Amino acid sequence: MNPDVANAIPQLVESGILPPEKAPRLLRVARRELVSVHGELRALLYFGVLLITAGVGVLVQQNLDRIGPAAIAAGIGLAAVAALLWVARVSPPFSWREVPSPNLAFDYILLLGVLLAAADLAYIEVRFTPLGANWTWHLLIVAVLTGLAAFRFDSRLVFSLALSTFAAWRGISVARFGTDFLWERTGNTVRWNAIACGVLFVGLGFALKKSDRKAHFEPVAVHLGWLLILVGLATGWGESRLWVFYTLAVLLCGAALAAAAYHFRRFPLFAFGVIAGYAALSRLVAEAIQELIFGCLWFFVTAALLIFSLIAAQRRMKEPL
Amino acid sequence: MRADAALADRNAAVRQAARSWQEAGAIGEATLTAIETTVPDDRVRVGPVFRGLLFLFTVLAANALFGFLWLLFFDDAEDPGLGVAAIVYGFALAGLTEFQIGRLKRSQGGMEAAMSLVALGYLIGGLGWFALEIFQRSDEIAITWVLTAAAVLFAAAAWRWGYPLYAGGAAAALLLAVARFPGGRLFWIVLPLLAMPVLLRLADSERLPPAHRHSCNAVLIVALIGLYVAVHLGSFESGLVEEIQGIPRFSRPASTSDLLWWLSVAGTALVPVTLLAIAVRTRRYPFLIVGVGTAVASLVTLRYYVHLAPLWVVLTVSGIALVAVVFALRRYLDSGPDRERRGFTAEPLFEDLARQRLLEIGAAVTSLAPEARTVPDEPRFKGGGGEFGGGGSTTEF
Repeated sequence: MNPDVANAIPQLVESGILPPEKAPRLLRVARRELVSVHGELRALLYFGVLLITAGVGVLVQQNLDRIGPAAIAAGIGLAAVAALLWVARVSPPFSWREVPSPNLAFDYILLLGVLLAAADLAYIEVRFTPLGANWTWHLLIVAVLTGLAAFRFDSRLVFSLALSTFAAWRGISVARFGTDFLWERTGNTVRWNAIACGVLFVGLGFALKKSDRKAHFEPVAVHLGWLLILVGLATGWGESRLWVFYTLAVLLCGAALAAAAYHFRRFPLFAFGVIAGYAALSRLVAEAIQELIFGCLWFFVTAALLIFSLIAAQRRMKEPL
Repeated sequence: MRADAALADRNAAVRQAARSWQEAGAIGEATLTAIETTVPDDRVRVGPVFRGLLFLFTVLAANALFGFLWLLFFDDAEDPGLGVAAIVYGFALAGLTEFQIGRLKRSQGGMEAAMSLVALGYLIGGLGWFALEIFQRSDEIAITWVLTAAAVLFAAAAWRWGYPLYAGGAAAALLLAVARFPGGRLFWIVLPLLAMPVLLRLADSERLPPAHRHSCNAVLIVALIGLYVAVHLGSFESGLVEEIQGIPRFSRPASTSDLLWWLSVAGTALVPVTLLAIAVRTRRYPFLIVGVGTAVASLVTLRYYVHLAPLWVVLTVSGIALVAVVFALRRYLDSGPDRERRGFTAEPLFEDLARQRLLEIGAAVTSLAPEARTVPDEPRFKGGGGEFGGGGSTTEF
């Protein structure tokens, strides 16, 4: 219940600001006489999809010998086809623009179908090895098919899965990247793969926006891309000789990103740039400072200066609340 | 809360509601502007991204300053002045928070929230340091003392500055503090039951500003979780609440009484059902959220004690059942007059769907993406390799 809003609505109607015909529904919501469970139902659907895919994972792992590979592959394949057929049946016609979901479950059943199909393809590849020596390419095939499904059915959720599957093909995942970064274990190949993936995603986002085709997918690609570039470069900080190069690269990329994001009013990208640039600069200074007290002084002075700069930047950019 | 801050909070609630009406298309841009003129906002606010950045760098600056001053004047962690310095610094930051919220009229600005949090950290840390020094023969008393102090400080901060998170923190600290006394589990059952009617009335009270009403809901959520933990069978069998007393128990049950065991079984089953029933009847989100959460926990508990079927069957059938329940609920709600039944609707009303979608995308990237293949020293061909993980599972074939 929101008594302040409930009290304000009659006053707004009385003063002629709020149209009287709108008031009853708004008042019911403010008085908690009408409550939406839309968000809760979406969350439950998402959780349901997670449970089903986890169940399928355990089924494959534990019952391989008992059920037999052909039966498992056929079973998962049929379930995936059923989910995707339902999606295709209720889906609106294709458009390069944003298409509203036809119903609440659409995105999640599509996600379920894609995940089951991906699991089935991986399973078939492992058991029957149709790709032979090129078995590692199955992740690329899954990424492309997932991407196509995302475009056809206009799902940003599935598009993000396509990008992360593509990154997994190049050896990058959030879990592995996180632990490797913490323990400074990221190899050179994975690092440069991450940076290349990041550049590719940013480029893809730019192309989508420029061509005005699925332009609403652009933030997903660009945010993920920049994260990969910055974190990929930052994994080089543990290098014994080249750490200065990687730190300077993060500093320059962060500063350039913050400046561009400031210009184009891209708030999350601005935050990425500021944090990356500050972290890189502090990494360089920390190397030069031997005494802890000067380290504390550095962080106090620079953080305080940054706070004042951010307040000034915020006034210029005017981020909506 | 200061009177001017409370008024600004009430105005902000109306302005926020008006913005959500406008985003949902219920009112036009002109009406929104007129409403915003009628309920003016005198606070200095910033958007979520800048708020996050300002919060982060304020926490950094505040801690770095303390470190610098400490190293400049003392440079010894064993120095008896550490506790005093932390408390003095905590009070100074609390004063600065008060200055920002009062004189500078800052709200949702990141800096004042960060300073209040760091202030509480130093005050609780300083008091903890003193408690350990004073009760050095008994850390147990010191911990109880610190938890009590934390409950009081968090409650005072929630009351003065209006942060619901602190109200929830105060409730959690209080539950942990009472758990350290004999009969702690009983307190965890009785206190929430006693507090519930009061909290429900306060959460709807016109006399309280929105921040305090949200604080009451935060306390209610923590209290309900505490109640469920106290009656939960797993917690009863492992003596979880009794473990908080700090006496080594080696996972003994809370009691050897059969009656209490059966009561715990009944509680584990009935608490979620009761909470969901209250949620349906009163249409209150705290009951709905905790009700759904505890229902999932109780089903997992059931699976732990009663092996009805293999794990994959339980997971898959639960998932399919959940999806089916959502479909049925959606159809049931949609088929009602004006697409609603008993005051519930599956239609989005005036909520921020964009934020929810963002959370889903974040969750998909982190939890649904397949496990990355190993790129270094990659074999040309390795039959039997390849992995795919979904729903948090990792399947290796």
